[in-house]
Amino acid sequence: MNADELKSRILPVLLGGTRRDTGQNLAPGSDREHSVLNALSLAGQAMRFTRPSVPNEFAVEHWPHDERTILPDRFRPAILRLLDRSTDDTSRALAVALDNRKLRPHPFDLPRLDGFVRRYADRLGATAQYWVQRETPAQQARTYFEADELTTENWTESSLRSRVQFFKILRKRDPKAAQILLEKSWSGENPDSRVQLLSVLQFGLSPEDKPFLESIQKDRAPRVRTLVQRMLAVISGSPSENPALAACMERIQKSKAGLLKKRNALKLELPATVKEHEVNRWIQEQFADVTLDGLALACEMSERQLVEAAEKDNNLLFALALMASRENRFDLLDAVTDELPDAWGRMSELMSDDNLGKDAGQLSAWVSALVNPKRWLPEVPFPAWSWLHRQIEGMLPADIMRDVLASKTWKEQLDSDKKGGTEFVQVICALCPPELRGSIRSQIEPLEADRKDKGLMLLDILDELETLNEKPETAFAC
Amino acid sequence: MAGVSLEKIEAMAPDQSSLVAARKLVKPSSWSSLASDKAGLVWGECQGSGASPYRVIISELDGGYKCTCPSRKFPCKHSLALMWMRAEGKSSFQPAATPEWVKDWLRRRRTGSGAANSEKDETAQPKNLAQASLLQAEEVDPKAEARAAAARDRARREREDAIHAGLDDLDTWLIDQAEAGLAGFANHAGKSCRSIAQRLVDAKAPGLASRLDGLPNRIYSLPEPVRPIAAIEQLGQLHLIAEAYRRQESLSIEMRADVRREVGWTQSRESLLSEDGTLCVSASWRVVGTVSEVQPDKLRRLETWLWREEVAEGPRTALLLDFVPVASGQTKGAYRSGERITATLVFYPSPRPLRALVKEIIIPTQECSTDLPLPDDDPARAYACYEDAMATIPWISMWPLRFREARVRRNGEKLFLCSINNDAVALPVTANQTNAVAPLLAIEKFDGFGLWDGYTFRLCFAQTPLGRWVSE
Repeated sequence: MNADELKSRILPVLLGGTRRDTGQNLAPGSDREHSVLNALSLAGQAMRFTRPSVPNEFAVEHWPHDERTILPDRFRPAILRLLDRSTDDTSRALAVALDNRKLRPHPFDLPRLDGFVRRYADRLGATAQYWVQRETPAQQARTYFEADELTTENWTESSLRSRVQFFKILRKRDPKAAQILLEKSWSGENPDSRVQLLSVLQFGLSPEDKPFLESIQKDRAPRVRTLVQRMLAVISGSPSENPALAACMERIQKSKAGLLKKRNALKLELPATVKEHEVNRWIQEQFADVTLDGLALACEMSERQLVEAAEKDNNLLFALALMASRENRFDLLDAVTDELPDAWGRMSELMSDDNLGKDAGQLSAWVSALVNPKRWLPEVPFPAWSWLHRQIEGMLPADIMRDVLASKTWKEQLDSDKKGGTEFVQVICALCPPELRGSIRSQIEPLEADRKDKGLMLLDILDELETLNEKPETAFAC
Repeated sequence: MAGVSLEKIEAMAPDQSSLVAARKLVKPSSWSSLASDKAGLVWGECQGSGASPYRVIISELDGGYKCTCPSRKFPCKHSLALMWMRAEGKSSFQPAATPEWVKDWLRRRRTGSGAANSEKDETAQPKNLAQASLLQAEEVDPKAEARAAAARDRARREREDAIHAGLDDLDTWLIDQAEAGLAGFANHAGKSCRSIAQRLVDAKAPGLASRLDGLPNRIYSLPEPVRPIAAIEQLGQLHLIAEAYRRQESLSIEMRADVRREVGWTQSRESLLSEDGTLCVSASWRVVGTVSEVQPDKLRRLETWLWREEVAEGPRTALLLDFVPVASGQTKGAYRSGERITATLVFYPSPRPLRALVKEIIIPTQECSTDLPLPDDDPARAYACYEDAMATIPWISMWPLRFREARVRRNGEKLFLCSINNDAVALPVTANQTNAVAPLLAIEKFDGFGLWDGYTFRLCFAQTPLGRWVSE
């Protein structure tokens, strides 16, 4: 009996049970029991010598061509250790550093860095994006490539982040061309990209954008509809045409204050139903569709006078801070934070990401106007720092960081009696520009190992990454 | 310092917090003594929270370590700290005579401290009081020595009888399964195998019992349509082992030794080293794979696969095997993939020698970044070597495949190891490696080493244009 006969005759008998067989199909043996056992071992061995079947076809792989340089081997173990239970700030700082130097993780590390790669795929190159999308059904997956230069021809095929950056530049250079480009691609965009790209149109908004905005007023995504309404209200300008501005004006009381010299005073009356913890959110929603110049016009004073008139009302100042921040009016924001030093802390509680459209220069001016370590009261909690890092996705300007390192808030973290966590140290290290890393190292050196460990590792890696080439930090000018 | 580098310490550390904790101890003030025998053995005493200091020993030759602290992490922070100080080279280690507690550890290691837990010496001395007293007297009393030898002989014969009775029980059980039909065997495999495995433990055939205990898991890990065939293959092998054991007198010495090991007889380190004609190979070996798996008997099996760099007569692949209790928390062995060790290995007798012991370390483990000199076999040829080995030893379960010019391909969610030039074989990659192996889909050609268990392929090591890929 050969192997094929064993498989065709004995195998079915063994599977169905030899009890039902008279014995004629079993292997030779001295008795029935031996025949059964011989059949079992012979059939088993015959099957073991059968080679595993080769699939009829294999998938064709479409790994993208990635022009980024693979991270040198010496970084790999250090990065795996760093990202093991690190905070979001640490991983964000690393992703930004890799992005700035056009580096990408080693492909073999992608499985172990899966969470990191998923979160920051758009900063880690084409291979990382392919890795994240590899299980996405073909019809939903975006064809991806990472070109050095995006054009109006290829911009739809890049990552959303790159597209937003490209679109921002185009909008700044030629607002009308940007609007036409978006109009063309609008039907192919998903809700996320519609919201983010439309947000860019807020810069340089003009009546020329009105027909397009009116055409998308009934978009399927509620976020898009809200944004469109807000932008249309901004274009229209007057309180009578902007119900949000009219609603705000109903809540703002104008009066005169001062003994020798009377000056204007503004006060925001909060509804009685708004509880203390809801104030920031209410202000954000109430003033979301109001512009600074619209408000100034309605109050019959200049924007600068608005700030002076609101100096005694922290809530109205906060509203002005939100508007100034949104409209890139950093001179006004600076003036507001002179009166309201904790505007940053209040903004961070909202956890909004209004800075998406800002470029590096704007972010630098924004953070300089907003963050004023010398005037902090009494301390800024960790979430505010983390929010700040998320907003600027880079490092603080050196002069601000110097003040941070000398601030009471930071000194308290370094107090050996205070058993703080490692998160604060990590975010400060993530925000620290290269020239101050030596200072921060010497400051955190006395801390317990488990508090300083990740921070030091991050500083070491960032230092070493910077030695790889001379390319300067581009995401955020320090 | 050879043997323990900072990179290796990092890799050995069970987690980041252990490293952080160890760093706090990397200062001589934490240690009441630090010494070395200048031959690769380093020890020290570290004051912990207890009254007496913890005694810590490390062997630089093979990365072994021991600490008396009650930590459930392996290596503990004390062992890591001692290695760290040694690797940094900043602390001074006084040359000293080896203290008794270090010698004691060494003695226990040499009798196979890890493996010995699961292996009983075939020729081990009896351990009850009566027999122990016989032993004490053996040096002075030839009659007592004869009685002890007779007792050992009797115990051995009794075990042989028990095993033969157990094999008969196994045959009966196998017939019952075949009579009932093996199409549905997987549905009741757990309970059924457990019961016969217990009987084989009673019959002093722990090797077979272990095979049976692991059989349900092995079958359940396969796709459902394959399970009945896998059951036939696995049960058929059991009968082959039983039959070979009964006929061992007609087998070659190597084959006899192999089948006796499969049944459960074990051989101590001393016995293997003292045996005449044992295969010893002194060479430079590369660690090409490490496997850590929990067995049904609550022991963790730590496999270290070695590849001989020199082309010469004798086996090119060796398997070092250690067992540790799962409760000990140790999850890694002392070696890391890619390391090189120059050592003399002693192979357990077998027609296809694979399992070995380290007899002597000539040059301790070192990091090695050079490419592995693999033979010119593509995966199809490597698979043919497996078939060849199976023709010699029908019950082999795991077999090393080393290959060149391979690639990974995908069909649905499954990955396959294929030759670049032909479709002669496509070895399905084990499901729990799908994610880790996926990046190799982008590599058009690589060389490597892996383990084939008859159903799935576990890739251990790959040399690619992008550098080395190592299974974790």
